[in-house]
Amino acid sequence: MADAVVRHVVTFGRVLREVGLEVGPGRVADALRGLDVVDLTRQEDVYFALRQTLVARQDELDLFDRAFNAWFLRAPVLPPVRTSDRPAEQQKIGESLSDASGGEQDEETGDPLELGASGHELLRDKDFAEMTPDEYRRVRRLIAAIAGHRPLRASRRRRSDPRGDRLDMRRLIRASLRTGGDPVERPYRARKDVPRKLVVLCDVSGSMDAYARALILFLHAAVGSGPGVEAFAFGTRLSRLTPELGTRDPESALEKCTEAVTDWGSGTRIGASLKEFNDLYGKRALSRGAVVVIVSDGWERQDPELVGREMARLSRAAYAVVWVNPLKGNPEYQPLAGGMRAALPYVDRFLSGHNLRSLEELAAVLAGIERRHAA
Amino acid sequence: MRSPRPGRYADLMSAFRTIDDLESALQAADYLPDRGLSTALFLALALEKPLLLEGEAGVGKTEAAKSLAIATGSRLIRLQCYEGLDVAHAVYEWNYPRQLLHIRAAQEGTVSEDELFGPEFLIRRPLLEAIDSDEPVVLLIDEIDRADEEFEAFLLEVLSDFQITIPELGTIRARRKPAVILTSNRTRELHDALKRRALFHWIGHPSIDREIEIVKIRIPGVSERLAAEAAAFVRELRGLDLAKPPGVAETIDWTMALNALGRQEIDADVVEQTLGSVLKYREDIEAVRDETLAQLVDTARATAAR
Repeated sequence: MADAVVRHVVTFGRVLREVGLEVGPGRVADALRGLDVVDLTRQEDVYFALRQTLVARQDELDLFDRAFNAWFLRAPVLPPVRTSDRPAEQQKIGESLSDASGGEQDEETGDPLELGASGHELLRDKDFAEMTPDEYRRVRRLIAAIAGHRPLRASRRRRSDPRGDRLDMRRLIRASLRTGGDPVERPYRARKDVPRKLVVLCDVSGSMDAYARALILFLHAAVGSGPGVEAFAFGTRLSRLTPELGTRDPESALEKCTEAVTDWGSGTRIGASLKEFNDLYGKRALSRGAVVVIVSDGWERQDPELVGREMARLSRAAYAVVWVNPLKGNPEYQPLAGGMRAALPYVDRFLSGHNLRSLEELAAVLAGIERRHAA
Repeated sequence: MRSPRPGRYADLMSAFRTIDDLESALQAADYLPDRGLSTALFLALALEKPLLLEGEAGVGKTEAAKSLAIATGSRLIRLQCYEGLDVAHAVYEWNYPRQLLHIRAAQEGTVSEDELFGPEFLIRRPLLEAIDSDEPVVLLIDEIDRADEEFEAFLLEVLSDFQITIPELGTIRARRKPAVILTSNRTRELHDALKRRALFHWIGHPSIDREIEIVKIRIPGVSERLAAEAAAFVRELRGLDLAKPPGVAETIDWTMALNALGRQEIDADVVEQTLGSVLKYREDIEAVRDETLAQLVDTARATAAR
């Protein structure tokens, strides 16, 4: 192949990397081999050969198309949208969170779940919204420990287990050889329990501000607890948080979270956000068989009916739906807000999540959850 | 230069020097791929790489693999994935009842373990079948996103080495490499490693003209007008906000139903009666019935008339 073509493609690979596509040397090599076997005078064939070798995800097609147009067709092109500037309010939340985690090193070491001391006991029932930064710092690690509990499902993979429920035929046959075909020894295999898919949708709008910090920590720990956890934040719209929460370091995760949820602190559109989730992720069966946890106070400003409709869709696909509403911590609370009332018929468990004790309750429910709405 | 290996696609490829050649062969197999899909299938053969096809349900991902098998004169071996799919159902399994019977029928002590775990007691599942085939094979791994992640990792191994190890029998290597088509409905993201290994093609809904062609080729004798109006109507449906927008498969089913009813064109009544073969969810059917049906029919007929 002509050197010029090789150089062209290699540079194009670099252009794609710059706009955020993962284009490794293997892909560039494939692209070159691809161009080798198609008719270079047909623009369509060149386009597809490059696209099919260099792009691996549908959501990158748009970026690829723009880069292709700009690079090979010399068409004027708009730079990909990147939201880099953060409003002042977001900055503030980020700061207060890093304050909260600042002195973690001088914290006492001990089992974080052991809350025997009376001071801890008080902390446990204190509303997150009323905690001082110091108190908040102490509960951070407890939150992480709580979020580690995950609902389980039986995997299809079986392994040797004397108390298993299915015969290990391979071993049985071998053993039977020695006994003339009589299966005297009965080895068994059992299914292993593996974590069930967990999807968390967290409301970060203004009315939830006070609880958002604790819940984001909870989310971070949940994502860190292994594969199969997806986290989303919503306010006026939905944004997927899983990648941001994927890092080991909660602090930077929090920072990135704040960045990703651009509508932090603004109004809530629960129905529209649920719809976005159902449309984008529900169709890809992210919710199928999953335990879906929605964290929100249920203040829908716009369309309670839409909330009901989308909750119905969600609950059909999900294994179980848990709604966590911090307002429920108040004994006088009645779920009268339109959105909340519309959602309740589709909720399997309704919990509060306003303090440490209620998060523990949430973890216990998640660990032992059984489907209610199937019955 | 690539080093010569056993199992090149040379025999599959020889008939297709260009994308156009492959396209004609697919058309002869009653499949009308667009240029992008033809290119993808051609590259998969030429570069000897698996091809990952993604797209909405019903855009013809599975059909593409079937047609490729026909066009290349290969045997189609299909592995349908599902949650919990394991090696016993994807690769091989020992035939335990036969083994037990064999031990019992023989004189005690005369059956050796080697004999018992020999090829004649082996049940061959799709992956082993594809690796161990003497004829050319198109291996369709359908809906890979439904399989567990553990299985995906295993599959990745098979697709990189094209060999399968059975502890009792040893390693079986592909004498000729199968052409591999994977499909996914994107119910979850696939491993990067798997994506790196495969070519990727996203199949969108076909253009209206192409969809009319597809309907006509699949339903011999259908009226031109009915095909055009049905395709136009389905296209209108796809523009709505539905839980499951209809795919090409639904267009074909529906037109077939209308054709069987002796219709030459569509109207609001017949659409309402047959809507169940286009839309698969009750709420979708209700949404369309409530508001827009007559209007959609009008728009579709106007589009088709042009």
